[in-house]
Amino acid sequence: MSRMSFYLKERLLDIEHRYSIEAHESKILPPREKKIITWLISMTFWLVITGNIHWQNLLLGSMVSIVVSLFLYENLTDDIRFKGNTGARLLSLFFIEIPQYLFIMVFQLLESNVKVAKHAILMDINPGIVKVRSNLRSDTGTTILANSITLTPGTLTLDVDQKLDRTYFYVHWIDVTTLNMEKAGDEIKGDVERWLEKIFW
Amino acid sequence: MIEYLLLLMGTLIMIFGALGVLRFPDVYTRLHAATKCDTGGAMSILIAAALLIPAPWSVKFKLLVLMFLIGLINPMISHAIARGAYKSGIKPKVMVDMYARDNK
Repeated sequence: MSRMSFYLKERLLDIEHRYSIEAHESKILPPREKKIITWLISMTFWLVITGNIHWQNLLLGSMVSIVVSLFLYENLTDDIRFKGNTGARLLSLFFIEIPQYLFIMVFQLLESNVKVAKHAILMDINPGIVKVRSNLRSDTGTTILANSITLTPGTLTLDVDQKLDRTYFYVHWIDVTTLNMEKAGDEIKGDVERWLEKIFW
Repeated sequence: MIEYLLLLMGTLIMIFGALGVLRFPDVYTRLHAATKCDTGGAMSILIAAALLIPAPWSVKFKLLVLMFLIGLINPMISHAIARGAYKSGIKPKVMVDMYARDNK
């Protein structure tokens, strides 16, 4: 009987989770905010590529970026979660969340570089292809998570499989310590997935 | 000071990555070593170069942009190589292969 009640509780949590995802889907970003974010990204790209801050250059870049963001605002920002007002959201995105991601990735890169150097010296490798589950469903979130997994040495994404409810990654892992999907997911993805779930759905 | 430490670290990572490329048994594990050269080695050497060279800020900033582009392109390339190798039938020398089990 106890097993049965555990099963029911799990199902209930699952249904709750899916309900929360659908509630988020109903709150997609409004078009004005999408245009602002697209404008900011293309303007940053323009500044980085040209590399001078003369006022004529700034004027030309902002005009071109406005035209681009008016036409193409749906492609880049379709998967971002909507919460709160625009200004606070943008400030928190640029000053809290992106530095947080860089911080997480720098420490993961350092740690896994040392690990793979140790494997190259001692040759104590134990490779395998494991399957990892993720709660992210949007294309952008899946892409960023798969790229972060591949960027850290020691794990390499072979394929992504989007089922109805969840996304599955097939990861080639140089040192398999566990075959359990949850524990392997915790070790491979680290904090990146929790960070991504705050921004994308 | 920190730039010389970064240069030393990048060089060491490059050496161990080359050692890994030579010593690891198959395509996929060698790709791990090659990825390590790119992320750890090239990135830390680029940061050190941006700190060291006597140049205007725009040039230094462009070195950091190069780092960003390496971080963007490197996972794509290694994923493409690994998937292409798998699809063309190179068997990985692994303990467990869940990808083959699911795609019979």
